[in-house]
Amino acid sequence: MFYLEGLHLKGFRNYHNQQLHFHPRLNLVIGENAQGKTNLLESIYYLSVTRSFRTNRDNELANFEDRYFYVKGNFVKDDFKHIIQLSYRLNEQLKVSVNRKQEDRFAHLQHFPVIVFSPDDLQIIKDGPAIRRRFLNLEGSRLNPLYFEDLKNYQRSLMQRNYLLKEKRNHLKIREYLEPWDYKLAELGSSIINSRLILIKALEKEARLFFDRMTGSLEELTLRYSSTVDFNNNPETTRNNFLNALSKKRDVELKKGSTMIGPHLDDLKVMINGFDSRRFSSQGQKRTAALALKMAEVSLFKLRNDESPIILLDDVFSEFDNSRKMHLLEFLKETAGQCFISTATGLNGLVENLQSDYKIITVRYGRAFDETDRFGA
Amino acid sequence: MVYPGSFKKLVEVLCRFPGVGPKTAQRLAFYLLGLSRDDVVAIARAMVEAKDKLGFCPLCGCLSELDSCSYCNDAGRDQSILLIVQEARDVLVMERTGQYRGLYHVLHGALSPLDGIGPEELKLDRLEKRIAEKEVSEVIIATNPNVEGDATAGYLARLLKPYSVRVTRIAFGLPVGGDIEYADDLTLSRALDGRREM
Repeated sequence: MFYLEGLHLKGFRNYHNQQLHFHPRLNLVIGENAQGKTNLLESIYYLSVTRSFRTNRDNELANFEDRYFYVKGNFVKDDFKHIIQLSYRLNEQLKVSVNRKQEDRFAHLQHFPVIVFSPDDLQIIKDGPAIRRRFLNLEGSRLNPLYFEDLKNYQRSLMQRNYLLKEKRNHLKIREYLEPWDYKLAELGSSIINSRLILIKALEKEARLFFDRMTGSLEELTLRYSSTVDFNNNPETTRNNFLNALSKKRDVELKKGSTMIGPHLDDLKVMINGFDSRRFSSQGQKRTAALALKMAEVSLFKLRNDESPIILLDDVFSEFDNSRKMHLLEFLKETAGQCFISTATGLNGLVENLQSDYKIITVRYGRAFDETDRFGA
Repeated sequence: MVYPGSFKKLVEVLCRFPGVGPKTAQRLAFYLLGLSRDDVVAIARAMVEAKDKLGFCPLCGCLSELDSCSYCNDAGRDQSILLIVQEARDVLVMERTGQYRGLYHVLHGALSPLDGIGPEELKLDRLEKRIAEKEVSEVIIATNPNVEGDATAGYLARLLKPYSVRVTRIAFGLPVGGDIEYADDLTLSRALDGRREM
């Protein structure tokens, strides 16, 4: 069991001095717009990652007048309590202490895992392929350290090759020069594609569990890898296809001056009922698909670490109908560890139907109130 | 800072050495000033002598005395094995092992278009000629284990295919005397890939 038991905020965003205790499973943060719901979730994320999901600047997190902030969290992990304290003063380094011992900001990472889903995460469905490649690369590297190494080397080979295509395209021996880089690119590229295929299969399995639940199996989610290379489950075949494609594209590449084949151009297609969700889906479907990917990320994390991360869902309810809201709450109750859900809309008795332990926290003008404490009500 | 003229000149010259900054240069300069004149002359002589007499062997590319290469002309070496390295300093490292008794071939670099190095810059025709003319039975490739080193190794392997020589590459893996526990993930997975039958 891993969860955040208590939180103390001083000067963090619009919180002056706030202490809270949480439920080990479900916590609902309710309030009107611009009262501090997201700020509360942000502080929990910050405790884990020492970085915000909304900004890269620490000084924006500090309260206007105070110009400093302090965040303290009491985590429970494997029956042990851990106290994390972060303090920031304008123009100074963030101080991180774990169990009252000073620690390096980056060494602290990953010890108390928190995963966030915010409205911005819809971009993973809406935006161009680059954001989905980044998602695959991040998840791939987490799954397998060799993936990151392949990726780094692939990018280096790509740079070498693109340099030749651009700067030496008129050289008599350009084809001979390209040869070693074709091989290197195909070797590393096919290895990356192969890792991505394995990853996507695992992601799809987990994402579908969630998606089926949300839609009552009325819609079908599939993840498909779309590549510039004619790939295959056998990396050796993919590699040969990669090499062939490179030699076929040789003249076009020389004209364009850059590499036109490889995993750096590929995409992850998120399909709903066989259609690309990026183009043919409603806002609610997009939101469900994006959340399904995030839940798949959580599941893979759980499989790897044998422990659920804390899940923060910032304003996910707004675009869901009541049945999806209900399914989401049930899914979280059954599979997830501790969750924090912020919402501006009322819950219309949804929670009561859950018949589960939970806690409601309301937020008004930068103050949070503990509304219910229904342990096993 | 005001330095006496020739002191300033000396510090500036010493600063040009790799890894030497102004502070170290100043320290070295004071050290030289503390020596006897004879000692300073001996140091200067050693530099000039090394510069005059040393060079890279036109055949194998190793650092050697100009008139005779101590590797190529060593009759005790196995003439049928050739070890290919990127830099002349790699030869000295290999020699320290005392294990290898074959000949060397120094490329003076690895394929890297970004640094302006292609097959011609590595003078690979010289290597091919060497293999074609001498009775070489095995070529061991010991380029660095990075992208450029790998690309070079692959290129060499394909280049040498027509010559009916055995082409091998040195193994990657665990440092000797270390604990598996402390090996990084990458080295360990490379070592797993390169496992061999016992």
